[in-house]
Amino acid sequence: MAAESLDASRAWAPYEPSPACPWTLARAAHLHRRAGFGATWGQLRQALSDGPQKTVDRLLAGQGDVAAFNRGFDQNEQAAVSGGSPEPLRAWWLRRMIQTPHPLLEKMTLFWHDFISASAAGVGSGSLVRGHIQFLRSAALGKFPALVAGVARDPMVLLSLEAKANRKALPDLNLARQLLRRWTVGPDVCTDRDIRQAARAMTGWFVLRDELRRFDREHDDGEKTVLGKSGRFDDQDVARLAATHPAAARNVVGRLYRWFVDEGDAPDEAVLAPLARSFAEDFDVARLVETVLRSALFFSDRSLHRRVKRPTEFAVGLVRALEGTVPTTPLANDLAATGENLCHPPTRDGWEGGRFWINRATVIARSNLAAAMLAPSGRYEGKIDPAALVRRHGHAQAEPAGRFLLDLLLQPADDAGKRLLREMPARGDLPDRLRTFAHVIASQPEFQLA
Amino acid sequence: MNRSRREFLKTAIGTPALLSLGAPVSAVLARAASAADARKDTVLVAIQLSGGNDGLNTVVPYADDAYARARTTLRLTGKDVLKIDDHVGLHPRMKGFARLLKEGRLAIVQGTGYPKSDRQHEKAMRDWHTAMPEQSECPTGWLGRASDTLCGGEATLAAGAFVGPIAMPLALNARKACVPSVRSAAELTYRAEAPQAGPPEAATGENPLADHVRAASQAARLSDRQIKAVLAGGRGHYPNLGLAQELRTVAELVRADVGIRVFLTELGGGGIGGFDNHAIQRDNHASVLEQLSESVAAFADDLARHNCLDRVVLVTFSEFGRTLSENGRHGTGHGAAAPMFVMGGRVRAGLIGKHPSLTDLDQDAPKHHTDFRQVYADLLDNWLGVDSKAVLGGAFKHPGLLRA
Repeated sequence: MAAESLDASRAWAPYEPSPACPWTLARAAHLHRRAGFGATWGQLRQALSDGPQKTVDRLLAGQGDVAAFNRGFDQNEQAAVSGGSPEPLRAWWLRRMIQTPHPLLEKMTLFWHDFISASAAGVGSGSLVRGHIQFLRSAALGKFPALVAGVARDPMVLLSLEAKANRKALPDLNLARQLLRRWTVGPDVCTDRDIRQAARAMTGWFVLRDELRRFDREHDDGEKTVLGKSGRFDDQDVARLAATHPAAARNVVGRLYRWFVDEGDAPDEAVLAPLARSFAEDFDVARLVETVLRSALFFSDRSLHRRVKRPTEFAVGLVRALEGTVPTTPLANDLAATGENLCHPPTRDGWEGGRFWINRATVIARSNLAAAMLAPSGRYEGKIDPAALVRRHGHAQAEPAGRFLLDLLLQPADDAGKRLLREMPARGDLPDRLRTFAHVIASQPEFQLA
Repeated sequence: MNRSRREFLKTAIGTPALLSLGAPVSAVLARAASAADARKDTVLVAIQLSGGNDGLNTVVPYADDAYARARTTLRLTGKDVLKIDDHVGLHPRMKGFARLLKEGRLAIVQGTGYPKSDRQHEKAMRDWHTAMPEQSECPTGWLGRASDTLCGGEATLAAGAFVGPIAMPLALNARKACVPSVRSAAELTYRAEAPQAGPPEAATGENPLADHVRAASQAARLSDRQIKAVLAGGRGHYPNLGLAQELRTVAELVRADVGIRVFLTELGGGGIGGFDNHAIQRDNHASVLEQLSESVAAFADDLARHNCLDRVVLVTFSEFGRTLSENGRHGTGHGAAAPMFVMGGRVRAGLIGKHPSLTDLDQDAPKHHTDFRQVYADLLDNWLGVDSKAVLGGAFKHPGLLRA
């Protein structure tokens, strides 16, 4: 098996197409699913002619004026999200995922949302949640210690951790525990003593009326010992100390491996170690992501279809590939019903994900969601039209149109593709038949894999 | 062959479309059927009574002078209540419960509660949901943790479900499982024609995630057929009440036998719900109690008619009881201990535990003598077959809710 023959030292070397591992439509689609939310037909064609490395260049940078696009959305969100509810934010975030010229940035924002796992439940301020997600976006491809330091002073995070009063006499352990155990070095490295000492460093910070406030008299200015280092640390010192620890590098690399490469099997330490060592040199997330996306391992059978699509990947991917649009307020609710309520991770450990996205109820919910999104009318307003798309690409007959949808959405092997084509309704007008066929494809087990 | 295996094979093999697919299918079915054979099929249904139910006017200590003195306008007398014994009786509008009691299907666990309730709706309900009152940040619910355990190695199952129109309560929050929240059984079926995937590819072992998704898709098609078969058989007779409609959905899903072992539903409208009667309590309270009693009685009858009542235990809970004294506005304040009802074909019917004293009070409310986690533990260990110590984080003595 090709996967086994890939030895650890070659795993992160750049991928070069070979007869054993050629640059195909399936691999181009794989890259776009992982680095974003799937590709349009134009993007797939472009990728095939450009080759893998040039395509990765484009995905890393985004296309067009990304900053202007995001500024526009920031303003829209600011106008839409006021008061206590984060619900409009969920809808605007989904809209951003669908329209963004820089899908990798949103994908990484979602990665950090899951990684930090701050829930809007009980926060009571939509604006603070908006600020939090916006911060994650701004730091998503930056330096990891800056991200941790920023999150440690994010009022939404403090509220979600019930750490809104960090008194000198009663240091709150929640933030310190989450920072050390989940965000950085992990439970095997930090002790309860580390957590208590780190909590002392974080005293003095309060959230009052949704604002972060610092009271000097409540800060414990004494010496603390955290992870074997001593000093008169404050919260930012502890964040930097923990985030630049080698165990933190290994933690982030492990999580990112699950996110981009394979969430089925536990990773081989020998494969992760060189990546973790490299990340520990500068803690530059963009460089780490780039190494992974360019790697031989990423394009190998060890990675292909070794992830389950999250509900957002499932739905946003369908909309993007078919170049349609959907109202995202109902979509946010429907995604919550299939297990991913944006801004509300189920626990402080994020979404379990992987195989747990899929059970017999969510399989049906996903199929019903795809049916609703593809329906010519109803709550998704019929704004995805496969027939219009195939016409634009010059297909007027049912069979070539069906093959086109298969290549776009699933890239099946020849025999599987032929079998699926027989599922296309034989009668009816072409637009309806293609809607039905797109629904059949979206309901396939293989379509649930990323 | 036990009932669930029989049902499974009947539903699966009675489907020509599946049979026509040939050999690989029968192998898959044989595997799935043996998994069904091994599993238990008992079901737990919890009903949340939102707002803090007045236990004293639900299971009424009509013969107690302290009750008579304190309830100046809300008092129910021996002539009003549906007598259980010489001391207590059910609220007069709970005729369904009185009948279930007589039929040996209803247990009343008296004096349930827990230490240090702060009697605030949100915090108290959270405690009943998480069953971890000492961990204010516990993110999961006891039914969610039970669902995670029940899914176990077979994550294609959806072991828990919420049925109702409000947001899913915390009690079902799970660490791993995606717990469905539905208003009707039809929502757990394919709306459009169930997509056919052609012959199922056998598990290859090469990609465990792909194998899992294929297995779940197979299971989903089977669930879809089982639920549709139940729905096609006509709908049972239930009163036109919200809770009754939701329990009908639960009964349909129980009968379809799709592997859901834990259901949660709700009465009172969520949030600070219909049981929170600080003023002019009499009619409101009578109305929600009648809704509870009639809905559960219809549910029991429906299940009995389909020979499923022995597979089901239903339990009610509320965040707290209410004060003994009235508050001058014909209502009552937030209290402490209250009864929990447990209904099913195999429950130890009748009163369990004494009615709490009305002279030894805690801030005007009866004290609990049975921790609600004892009730949970009994149901987890002896009904669902889930280790209660793992779910509740400690050992709790069983009150003995079930017949041996």
